[in-house]
Amino acid sequence: MAGRMKTKPPQYLHCSLCGFEFEKRDTVCAHGCPLGRFCKLVRCPNCQYEFPERPELLGLVHRMFHRPKPRPSPPGSLPLSELNEGESSELVCLNCAQRSRSDVLAVYGLVPGSLVILQQKRPAFVVRVGETELALESDIAREILVKRLVAQ
Amino acid sequence: MNCAEEIPTTTTAECTIVLVGNPNVGKSVLFSKLTGKYVTVSNYPGTTVEIASGKTTIGGEHFAVLDTPGVNELAARTGDAGVTCDVLRDYPDAVVVQVADAKNLRRALLLTLQLAEFRRPQVLVLNMMDELDGCGGHIDAARLSELIGVPVVPTIATAGTGIEQVRESLDEARVPSIRMEAGHETRSYAETAAYLRRANEILSQVYTRVRPSKPTFAQKLGWWATDPVKGSVILLAVLYFTFWFVGLVGAGTAVGFLENVVFGRYINPWAIRAADVILPFPHTHEYVRSDYKFEIPLTPAGGILLHQSSRDILAPTYSLDSSATLGWWTQVRRLAHDFLVGQYGVITTALSYALAIVLPIVTTFFLVFSILEDSGYLPRLAIMVNRAFRWMGLNGKAVLPMVLGLGCDTMATMTTRILETRKERVITTLLLALSVPCSAQLGVLLAMMASVSFGAAVFWLLLNVVIMIAVGWLAGRLIGGPSSDFILELPPMRRPQLSNVFVKTFARLEWYLKEVIPLFLLGTAILFVLDKLNVLTRIARLGEPLVTGWLGLPKETATAFLVGFLRRDFGAVYLLDAATGPHATLTPHQVLVAMVTITLFMPCIATLFMISRELGKKTALWITVFIFPFAFFMGGLVNQIGRLCGW
Repeated sequence: MAGRMKTKPPQYLHCSLCGFEFEKRDTVCAHGCPLGRFCKLVRCPNCQYEFPERPELLGLVHRMFHRPKPRPSPPGSLPLSELNEGESSELVCLNCAQRSRSDVLAVYGLVPGSLVILQQKRPAFVVRVGETELALESDIAREILVKRLVAQ
Repeated sequence: MNCAEEIPTTTTAECTIVLVGNPNVGKSVLFSKLTGKYVTVSNYPGTTVEIASGKTTIGGEHFAVLDTPGVNELAARTGDAGVTCDVLRDYPDAVVVQVADAKNLRRALLLTLQLAEFRRPQVLVLNMMDELDGCGGHIDAARLSELIGVPVVPTIATAGTGIEQVRESLDEARVPSIRMEAGHETRSYAETAAYLRRANEILSQVYTRVRPSKPTFAQKLGWWATDPVKGSVILLAVLYFTFWFVGLVGAGTAVGFLENVVFGRYINPWAIRAADVILPFPHTHEYVRSDYKFEIPLTPAGGILLHQSSRDILAPTYSLDSSATLGWWTQVRRLAHDFLVGQYGVITTALSYALAIVLPIVTTFFLVFSILEDSGYLPRLAIMVNRAFRWMGLNGKAVLPMVLGLGCDTMATMTTRILETRKERVITTLLLALSVPCSAQLGVLLAMMASVSFGAAVFWLLLNVVIMIAVGWLAGRLIGGPSSDFILELPPMRRPQLSNVFVKTFARLEWYLKEVIPLFLLGTAILFVLDKLNVLTRIARLGEPLVTGWLGLPKETATAFLVGFLRRDFGAVYLLDAATGPHATLTPHQVLVAMVTITLFMPCIATLFMISRELGKKTALWITVFIFPFAFFMGGLVNQIGRLCGW
C-alpha cells in the first residue's frame, strides 16, 4: 500500500470558440479516426469545436512577450491589492483568469460574503480568512475583488 | 460499529480505519498514538504522496489503520486528494475518522460535508483543543455531534488526551445525517461556496469565542517572520545558524572526525590489511601523514582548538614489488583488491564518502530542517524569498530544495518532487546543478577564497548570483508549461517538540540512505572501471588544450576537473593544494578562474544519476550539455577579461 504515486499535473487548454477551459486529457475524439494519436487537433468538450493546439514556436514567442491584460471589475468593488494593511473587507467575487485558481482559493474559504482581513502587503500578501492565514502573490490579490468594511 | 455484522461476506477480513483531514492537523500524531508506529510526514504542500498503514486492536477486534495525505477538499484536482479519494473507494467498508483542527472548524466542516457524500460510518476528531482554549474559542461538541450526526471526540493528540475516547467512539461511528446535494467528481467554485455557507450555519450554532484573544508570543513571532524588515533579520539569523550548524559543525567538525579518524585511521587501514590477507599479491602500501584537529567552529576561518594529533596511516595507494611477475590469477586477485580497497575502491572511496562525508552533513541538515519544519517557519521563509524566486520563473516554494542544495545537491534534486509543475522542477534542478555549490564544494571554495583578495571573493559571489538569476530567468521563459500559483497556508508558529524532531530526523535519514547510497556505489564503480581502462587519463589529455589555452590553468588541472566530477573531494583537494598548498602554483587570478569553473560544474555524478531518475534521461542530457560548456565558457571569460584588465 505504501507505494509512491506520482500524478502528472493537468494541462489546461482554452477553447478558441467558446472560451471553455478544459484539461488536455479530456480532448480525445470519440470517433474512430484513422489518424489516431498523430492527429494534432484538440476538441473542446463543451462545444465540440476542433482546433489545432498552439504550435511550440508560437508558444515560445508568446511566453517571451506576453503580458496578461487586467480584467474589468464590477462596480463598487475594488481589488484586494488596493486595501491598506490591517483593513477588513467583504469578498465580492473572484475574478480569476483561470477557473482552477478560484477553485483552489474557495477551498481556503475565499468565497463571496466571507470576511477577509489584509494583514500585510509586502513581501507577499497575507490575508486572514476566518481562522486561516493565507499568503498570496500580488497577481492573485489583484484578482480578488472586495468591498471595504468600515472599521467599528 | 461491528464490521462482521455490517458486512457478513467478509467476516475474516479485518476492519479498516481511514484517517482523513486537512494538512497540519495532527493526523500523523494520532496515527502513531493509535498504532504505535511513526511515519515521516512532511507538512510541506505537495510532498510525495505516500500512505502509511498500521494496525491497532480495539476491544479485541483488529483494525488496520491507514493514514492519508492531508487534503483541503476531496476533488481529484491535486495528487493528494486523488489518492485520498482512491483510498476511500478501495476500502468501501472502512470507518472514516476525520481529524480536524479545532481552531479551524469551518474548513474541517467543508471536508466533513464532502466526506458525507461517500456514505461511510464516520467519526469527527477535534484535535488541538488546547490551542483552541488558548485563543479563547469554545466548541459545543455535543451539539455539533447532533447537527452532523456522527460522534465528535475532542483530543490533544500530542499529549495523548482523548485517544481512548477515539477508540471507544469507533463502535458508534455512523453515516452522517447531514447531506448536501449529489457531488461531482470535479468540484466547482460555486459548489464549494454552497458547502461553506452550510458550514457557517453549523458553526454559528456550535462555536463561540469567549474573549477577544491577545496575540501570544508565538503569534507575534509568526507576524515578525513575514515582516519585510524584522522578517529579513530573522531570515539572516536562521540562515547563519543553519550555515554554522550544517556547514561548520556538520561538514567541518563531524566530517573531519569521521573521515580522518574513524575511516582514515581505523576502518580503511583495517580493510586494507584484511584485503591483503584474503587477496594476496606482491605489493607494498604507502604510508601517508594524517593531521587531525578537533575544534569547535565559530567562523569559517577558525574556532576553539580542543585536540590535535598527527600520525602515519596506511594508504590505499601501493607500489608493486619490482621483481614480481604477476600471473593471471594474481591479476584477478589484484583487481578484486583494488575494487574493494584501491584508490577508487568500494570501501575506501564509496563507503567512506557516503558515511564519513555525506552522512554527517545530511544528519545535521535534517536536524535543522526538522526543527524549522516543526516550528512552522518554512512557509514564512517561502514568503520572504518569493519575489526573488519569481525572477527565476519559480515561486517561493522552491526555496526548500535550493537551501537543501547547500547541503547535498543530489538530495536536493530528489526533493524537487515537492514542486507542483514539471517546469519548476526542471528549472530548480538546473539551477541546483549549475550554481548552488554543495557542502563539499563550498568547503573547498571557502578555503580557496583565502588565497584571493576580498574583492575577488565578492566578485565570485556576485557573478554566481547573477548567473543564477539570468539562467533562471531565461529558462523560465524558454521552458514551456504552467507555473504554479503561490497560494500558501501559514500554519501557526509552535515550539518544536524535541522527540518529534529526533524521530523525524531518523526517519528521513533512513530514507535518504536507502535512496542515495546505491548511487554513490554506482558512481564509484564507474570511476573504478574508467580508471582501470585508462579512459580517465585519455579524456583528461583531450581536455588539456581547453584548460591551458582558454582557462589559462596548468594542464594537471584537467584531471582535477574530471576526477572532481566523479568524486568531488579528490579533484577539489588537488586544486586546493595547487592554490594554497606549500608549493602553490596558481596565481590569485588562476584561483579565481578555477573557483568560477568548479562552482558552475555539475556537482558530481550521483547528481547526474538523480537528475536522470527524477526528470528522465533526455532532460538530464540537455542539462549536462548546457552546464559543462557553460562552466568552461564562463571560467574562460573571467580568465580572458581578467588578462585584458591586467589582474
